[in-house]
Amino acid sequence: MSTLYHELTNFTEWLLGLVASLLDWTKLGFLSDFGDWLQTEPVVTLVATLLVAVIFLITAMMFGLCFIWEERKFLGRFMDRRGTQVGMLGFFQNFADGIKVVLKEHIVPKDSDHALFEMAIFAYLASTFMLFGCIPFSDNFAVFPNVNLAVLLGIAIFSFGPFAILVGGWASNNKFTLIGGMRAAAQLIALEIPLLLCVVSVVVLTGDLSFVGIVSWQEHNIWLIVPLFIGAVTFFVASVGESERIPFDLPEAEAELVEGWATEYGDVRWGLQMASDYFRAYILCGLFTMLFLGGWAGPDFIWAEAWYLAKTFIVFFFFIWVRAATVRIRTDQILKLGWRRLLPLAVLNLFVAIALKLAGVF
Amino acid sequence: MRIEEKRYTKTDHFRATGYVLKTMKVTFKGLVRATKHRPCTIMYPWEKLIYPDNFRGRPGIILEKCIGCARCAKECPNKCIEMVQLELPNVGKVKRPQVNLGRCMMCGNCAEACPTNAMIVTPEFELSSYNRADLIFDPIKLQHPYKPGYEVNYQFALLSEMNGGEVKTYAKNDPNVHDTVLLEGGKCISCGRCAKICPTGAVELVETGELNPKTKKPIKWPKFDNTKCVICEQCVEVCPKSALTIKEVL
Repeated sequence: MSTLYHELTNFTEWLLGLVASLLDWTKLGFLSDFGDWLQTEPVVTLVATLLVAVIFLITAMMFGLCFIWEERKFLGRFMDRRGTQVGMLGFFQNFADGIKVVLKEHIVPKDSDHALFEMAIFAYLASTFMLFGCIPFSDNFAVFPNVNLAVLLGIAIFSFGPFAILVGGWASNNKFTLIGGMRAAAQLIALEIPLLLCVVSVVVLTGDLSFVGIVSWQEHNIWLIVPLFIGAVTFFVASVGESERIPFDLPEAEAELVEGWATEYGDVRWGLQMASDYFRAYILCGLFTMLFLGGWAGPDFIWAEAWYLAKTFIVFFFFIWVRAATVRIRTDQILKLGWRRLLPLAVLNLFVAIALKLAGVF
Repeated sequence: MRIEEKRYTKTDHFRATGYVLKTMKVTFKGLVRATKHRPCTIMYPWEKLIYPDNFRGRPGIILEKCIGCARCAKECPNKCIEMVQLELPNVGKVKRPQVNLGRCMMCGNCAEACPTNAMIVTPEFELSSYNRADLIFDPIKLQHPYKPGYEVNYQFALLSEMNGGEVKTYAKNDPNVHDTVLLEGGKCISCGRCAKICPTGAVELVETGELNPKTKKPIKWPKFDNTKCVICEQCVEVCPKSALTIKEVL
């Protein structure tokens, strides 16, 4: 159990006790009963969990916004310019953009499949927000800190994204969105397998499927990027593709497909979709940190959460670097890369992991 | 597609990787450079580009030097300069140029034409205003503090000397190659308007020694002092009988 969870449980007990005493004060029988029910353990657990989830979601979203800011500033420097300038070192540009998209009108294309059109984007966003809950900041600051199959859960929710994208692209009734959706599906499936195989190699070495286990293993032995360097590189390339960033941003190739599968989405839906790309990139950076860079492990002079975040920011810097350096590649090239390069590399990496395990090195 | 497949050999396998690594190296150099020094962005409203020495912004005027010859107004390709009446404290009522900057194209020809270098080109380029009337700069508003280099000086060569060999160049206002005003004596009626209008006092009415057969008075013809003349052509324009012409040095 996390300390955050414990503290919030105490807070919730106090809060619900207050509500119950207020209800008692009304001297109405059924309200007093309701107050008593509020103080039972399941309700307290539920409310505390919800509070943890909300706090965690907001924190993670703020750091997702920091990623957008980091990208803007670094990309600016890469291109010999300054990046955003609004507010504190350009940090408030994100909020300005957010306010702008919130004020926009919600438009649904006339011939689109209305129900699916409305639902697909929320499915996509929901999968992204669910992913936040899967990645703990540390063993203290998490929604579900020590789920046994947390890695598998995260990857499973991640692979729900292409489905929503495909449905959204099809429901918009627009050739660009459909092409974008198809590309997204093909690309994500092609890169999902090497990604998963890299995760498998990590699991083989650590013998654990929970983040806490993986991180503590790395804390006691060695950061896995050293023995599994091939796997780390493969995972990195695959995760750049998974987060649909340049050079693998085929699903929303602006020059060819307007805005890809999200062409028809306007207002805050588009804004959240755009932010969601960065949230996914953040999640993949977090996964990389957990699996290969020792997660929140680090010297004790700052919090574990800070170590974790610093590492994710460094990983995201490499994402930005790749984006600044490379150009978009073709669909066939991306599939070729996924199936012919990354897959054999991932398998090789898996062999390395198995060999290390069998040789008894770790 | 088949051609591409054929061309793709095993040695090419790592070429793509090398390409990616090369671009990453190049961009990282750019990042280090932009972080260590500064990006090439100029934060415009707060800092300005360093303009070159011969930058031609809006025209300015040094009223003490101006003689009101109106050569700038004649030279202006956009006809944005107009000579307006002005009451100057020491000089009295004079005509001085007023520039409509809404029409000005910053060519600096006015400063080039100015014989006394009273018209200058300033490095000022922020001229936006809320209405067009604000863009009409009267002589007082047009004034600008002088710095060496604001005036436009040029060198020129004569066409007649250009046929082969070394060409001699002359500076602006060189007295040796000076256009001259020619008088066609028979047309002159001795009205003296040219002498009145001349801004530099280069025209003087001189008796020719003949007498007018009707009035028995001495006939006076204008005489032009080339050291003072600035070829403003005002006398040519004002002459009621078109007796005056400019003879250019070619």
